[in-house]
Amino acid sequence: MEAAGQMKIIVGIKQEIRASAVAAVLVLSNSALAAVQPESGLGLPRDASQNGHLVDWLMNITSVFNIILFTIMCVWMGWACLKHNRNHPAEYDPGSSKHSVTIALAVSAFIFAIVDGNLFVNSINDLDREYWNFEKVAANPKTVRLEINAHQWAWDARYAGPDGKFNTEDDIVTWNEIKVPVGAPIYVELTSTDVIHSFYLPNFRAKMDAIPGQVNRFWFQAKETGDYDIGCAQHCGTHHYKMKALLSVVSPEEYKTWAAEASALAKRAFDPEDTAAHWGWDWKEL
Amino acid sequence: MHAEAHPAGVHPEPTSFLRRYIFSTDHKVIAKQFLWAGLVFLAVGGSLAMMIRWQWAFPGRPVPLFGIFLSRSGGVITPATYQSIFTMHGLIMIFFAITPVMIGCFGNFTIPLMIGAQDMAFPKLNMLSFWTFVISLILITASFFVQLGTAAAGWTTYAPLSTQIGTPGAGQTLVVAAIFVTGAATIMGAINYVTTVIRLRSPGMTYMRMPLTVWGLWLTAILNVLFVPVLGAAALLLFLDRVFGTQFFIAGAAGVKGGGDPILFQHLFWIFGHPEVYILILPAWGFISDIIPFFARKPAYWYRGSVFAMVAVTVLSAVVYGHHMFLTGMNPLLGKGFMTLTLIISIPAEILFLNWLHTLWKGSNRFPSPMLFALGTVFVFGLGGLTGLYLGTIATDLYLHDTMWVVGHFHLTMAAAAFLGSFAAIYFWFPKMFGRRMNEGLAKLHFWTSAVFITLVFCGQLVAGYAGQQRRLYDPYQYTFLSHLLPLNRWTSYFAFALGISQFVFVYNFLSSLVAGEKAEQNPWQVGTLEWTLCPSPPPHYNYATPPVVIRGPHEFANPDVIKALGRDWIGQTEPMPKVAAAAIKPAAGGAKD
Amino acid sequence: MTAMGEVLPYRPPRAREETTAFLGMVVFLGSWAMMFAALFFAYGFVRTRSVAWPPPDLPGLPWETPAINTLVLAASSAAIQYGLRVIRQGASPKLGRALLLTVLLGAVFLALQVSVWTRLYVEGLRPETGGAYGSVFWGLTCFHALHVLVGLIGVGLLTRRAFAGAFSAAKYLPVRLWALYWHFVGAVWALMFVLVFLL
Repeated sequence: MEAAGQMKIIVGIKQEIRASAVAAVLVLSNSALAAVQPESGLGLPRDASQNGHLVDWLMNITSVFNIILFTIMCVWMGWACLKHNRNHPAEYDPGSSKHSVTIALAVSAFIFAIVDGNLFVNSINDLDREYWNFEKVAANPKTVRLEINAHQWAWDARYAGPDGKFNTEDDIVTWNEIKVPVGAPIYVELTSTDVIHSFYLPNFRAKMDAIPGQVNRFWFQAKETGDYDIGCAQHCGTHHYKMKALLSVVSPEEYKTWAAEASALAKRAFDPEDTAAHWGWDWKEL
Repeated sequence: MHAEAHPAGVHPEPTSFLRRYIFSTDHKVIAKQFLWAGLVFLAVGGSLAMMIRWQWAFPGRPVPLFGIFLSRSGGVITPATYQSIFTMHGLIMIFFAITPVMIGCFGNFTIPLMIGAQDMAFPKLNMLSFWTFVISLILITASFFVQLGTAAAGWTTYAPLSTQIGTPGAGQTLVVAAIFVTGAATIMGAINYVTTVIRLRSPGMTYMRMPLTVWGLWLTAILNVLFVPVLGAAALLLFLDRVFGTQFFIAGAAGVKGGGDPILFQHLFWIFGHPEVYILILPAWGFISDIIPFFARKPAYWYRGSVFAMVAVTVLSAVVYGHHMFLTGMNPLLGKGFMTLTLIISIPAEILFLNWLHTLWKGSNRFPSPMLFALGTVFVFGLGGLTGLYLGTIATDLYLHDTMWVVGHFHLTMAAAAFLGSFAAIYFWFPKMFGRRMNEGLAKLHFWTSAVFITLVFCGQLVAGYAGQQRRLYDPYQYTFLSHLLPLNRWTSYFAFALGISQFVFVYNFLSSLVAGEKAEQNPWQVGTLEWTLCPSPPPHYNYATPPVVIRGPHEFANPDVIKALGRDWIGQTEPMPKVAAAAIKPAAGGAKD
Repeated sequence: MTAMGEVLPYRPPRAREETTAFLGMVVFLGSWAMMFAALFFAYGFVRTRSVAWPPPDLPGLPWETPAINTLVLAASSAAIQYGLRVIRQGASPKLGRALLLTVLLGAVFLALQVSVWTRLYVEGLRPETGGAYGSVFWGLTCFHALHVLVGLIGVGLLTRRAFAGAFSAAKYLPVRLWALYWHFVGAVWALMFVLVFLL
């Protein structure tokens, strides 16, 4: 509930944020001449995450099942249409005998058990062990915590700085660019100031809605360095399509140097009067 | 209230033009009114779709033909216009095209005829339903001409984007009002359908002898009665937020006051919205569950199974809506619960599929246009159903949520399947409705072009979604990871344009058959349901002079006794079994009971 | 012979028609109940998520006048029900008086509602500044009052017809339907009184 109280303050300030946020982070955005590598082919975008392969595997195995089922359906339908045509006498079978019903139910149950069962079991496992396993992330000393505030049409990110506390003078605040170290879990809390947005990392198979009035959380972990697109997945107004940002994954050393430098800069630029720039909230560990 | 001389649900045939064709209370006339309105708005919604596809194929280039509507920007679709286009495409297709054609037209036309009633239970309410619908059409049309343009918050109208914060202007307000009004019209219709099926079935027309079309439409009506009011409540609260400054959906601005909640809107919307997707497909399931046995010349396989499956889907549809909200930060336990319920829906769906396939198997299949469209519906719905599995599961939804995969999936189910299913119904009942035949060659041409291109269009969307493309992007190629998808999207657009152009075949066929089509016989398809066996084409004002007495189910085909006695492979629902053969009937002919 | 199936029992057309109309009304009210259920759901949703209800700087809702109002509506429901009973015995003038009483009580309800609205508006509870708390109060009570108003008009017209002797023991379907509607409106109010004003 405390976080909710904090949130309401965030929501109240709305408009001023963008201007001050831009001023505070201008120095940091220079490296935005990043080079996101385009994808090729029609498959999934390349997987840069440590756990995205779970989603990929689950989709692929389901696709295999689906292709089999769909092929059976088409062959069945095609065969019936070609062979059992008007020259074939129709069989008088209402299909309501115990035998027919048992077969229909058994086939349905079998398909359900295999295809849906596989989806269900693996999805629950993946969620409990990885995607929704925030205990694991919270316990990891390497975890980097990030607060993200979405607004029309940009992403603001806030790092706690050396003191480990949010909304203090040493916070690093960036605009449309997020720098994270490779190999460490990135634990994100996010909200929005105006309308609903959705933070989307295609190369990490991760997505979470940013909703005004509430703080949502998710986490991801990069397995290789590089630059990646961050997108907005929820229609958020006229310039929804331009609400993109850059995720740059760097080595832990590079990240450390950058963080120290950025935090020092932020401290110097800190203006206690500029309340609009203090949009952060107390981190709420789950 | 009612003239004394007429029994329940019957009114005298009007003689003036106005009462006969405009303010008519005859269900068949109202059905045609809904058909015309629905087809016109199908064309409008389709044109908007073409503009979206143009933008994705040739971003920023002036739109040919439709460019005249965009004169202020020199024919180019601007980001602001673009969001109105996709918003109105969705709303118009769902509420003003599919709903009137499937439910307004075929609900009205088939229910009384197929259950042997003389009209709907409340003919005046039926007329009121249509004219209320017309008011919503006027509101929606007016919204295009106000300042700042029409609605732009997506068909889902998510708050707070749909409040004054995100979308100022009268356009969005008019559209919200239109949704409320069309909801009222839908409820009026649904009350009529529910009551009519319960009260006005002719003697012997038990629930288990009703054609599956009636089952599909009746379950649809029940869902409409229960869940459209929830949409009404959401629209009402949104209207209050927009016009009277209340804050139901706007998060609180200061710690001291209790704030509204944007998520509340999503709950209300999807409590309605998930049943709605079944509202849009259940009628199609009903049509094709009848049409397939009709043209396989074989009893519908496990009729009761199909009925139970449809009932099960109806019940389940009310409790799975949370899968639209997996990423809103909902309680994990709740999310998993919704996932489980969602996956369970695949069981009744599988039973329906197996029944369709079994009906075809060992049939004597013929392929006139209604059958082709029915088979096309099975094909696209198969694709749509299977691709839904990825979205009902949370882990895979993390990636696919709000991507073009979702768009492809729901277009295959509730657009392609509803589209092909509606055309199956149009080609099937056209002779009964208008007393003329449509040109079969053109109908087949229309089928092949439509079925092929509609599959290609929506599969193209699936592929784009699998590659990660989000929905509703004005210019997807702003993103580096999507820049390689331009050729794919361009090809998808070409298929979409081909789909659009091939609809002119239908328009020509429909209009020319109306005036110059070959006169239809009473029962051109040689099937046994009441409207074909007892009514001339088109049916007279009262449908049936006396209530028909039904003695068997709707799909009595290939009964060896019937073939022996009558020399044909079908028998009407009211037709007594010829004496000679009746003696020979053994309990084995249990199909008569179903 | 093949089975004839369960042939629907024959009823006189008027009885059939009346049952059909009554069923239609029940279906309609069931549908409308879903709309009010959705509104109550909305109320519960924002209330459970809010920090303080009512917020400290806004007036609390009174319970006294709404309690009286609950009784007023209950009495008017009883009046229309009485009217239904007497018309079954053919007492048309008595029906007219019962319906008149229903309308008068309904009007008293609305008058008391207006007094509650005015008081709270003056005390500073406005739809546009009251946050979710104000929204719920204004949205729900006004929407309900609209239904009372519709009922008043409907029952008012019935009253006129009743005094004109339009109803008899054999023919009183509109009274039955409006009575059902009126009970529905009263039941929704009772629920609203408990959930919004008392809790």
